[in-house]
Amino acid sequence: MPIIVRLDVELARRKMSVGEFAERVGLTPANVAVLKNGRAKAVRFATLDAMCRVLECQPGDLLEWVED
Amino acid sequence: MIGEHRAVAALRVFLALLFGILVLFQVMSLPGQFAHMAQENPEMAYLRWPATAVTVFWVLCAQVVIVCTWKLLTLVKKDRIFSAASLGWVDAIVWAVAAAWAVLLGVFLFVGFNADDPGLPLLLFLMLTGLTVLGLLMVVMRALLRRATILRTDMEAVI
Repeated sequence: MPIIVRLDVELARRKMSVGEFAERVGLTPANVAVLKNGRAKAVRFATLDAMCRVLECQPGDLLEWVED
Repeated sequence: MIGEHRAVAALRVFLALLFGILVLFQVMSLPGQFAHMAQENPEMAYLRWPATAVTVFWVLCAQVVIVCTWKLLTLVKKDRIFSAASLGWVDAIVWAVAAAWAVLLGVFLFVGFNADDPGLPLLLFLMLTGLTVLGLLMVVMRALLRRATILRTDMEAVI
């Protein structure tokens, strides 16, 4: 997948644990793990909205495109 | 959803009823019927056992379709109809219809070449056409089910 979810960077910046993030965004820890290790195929705008709200960032801070 | 649940429940009642009637035909009515016909027309008596076997086989095909439909309804109730599990049962329905169709084609050709009046071959031709439509319809539904299953699987991967 050429789209990478930079979740670990943002979490580290805010010193937020995966468990707390999952609870505040309303995702299951399993789905957070899927996002973190790049196995996610698609993300809802609603999920992206909740993640940006919790991390106080922009979608561009979370998503990155790289060449294959 | 309420309408769907009621339709599924009613469909199950009638499927069970239909299955019961078919079993009754299979074990009691059909063998006796052909024995009686053999007595009435001794020159056609050689057809007694082949005709019994063929009709019992058709009833069996119908029963396979009923059981598969029942299983598919269970998947509908569990909201698992758009999963790989349902394709097997749909395949079984397609194969049962195909088997009944092949035997019907054989009977149609046999009767068609031996008949002295067009009534029975015409009736068989009608049945053959109807069964062809049913079988091809099932193939189309199977393709739609497969497509819907892929869509559902993709949607479930969305976080």
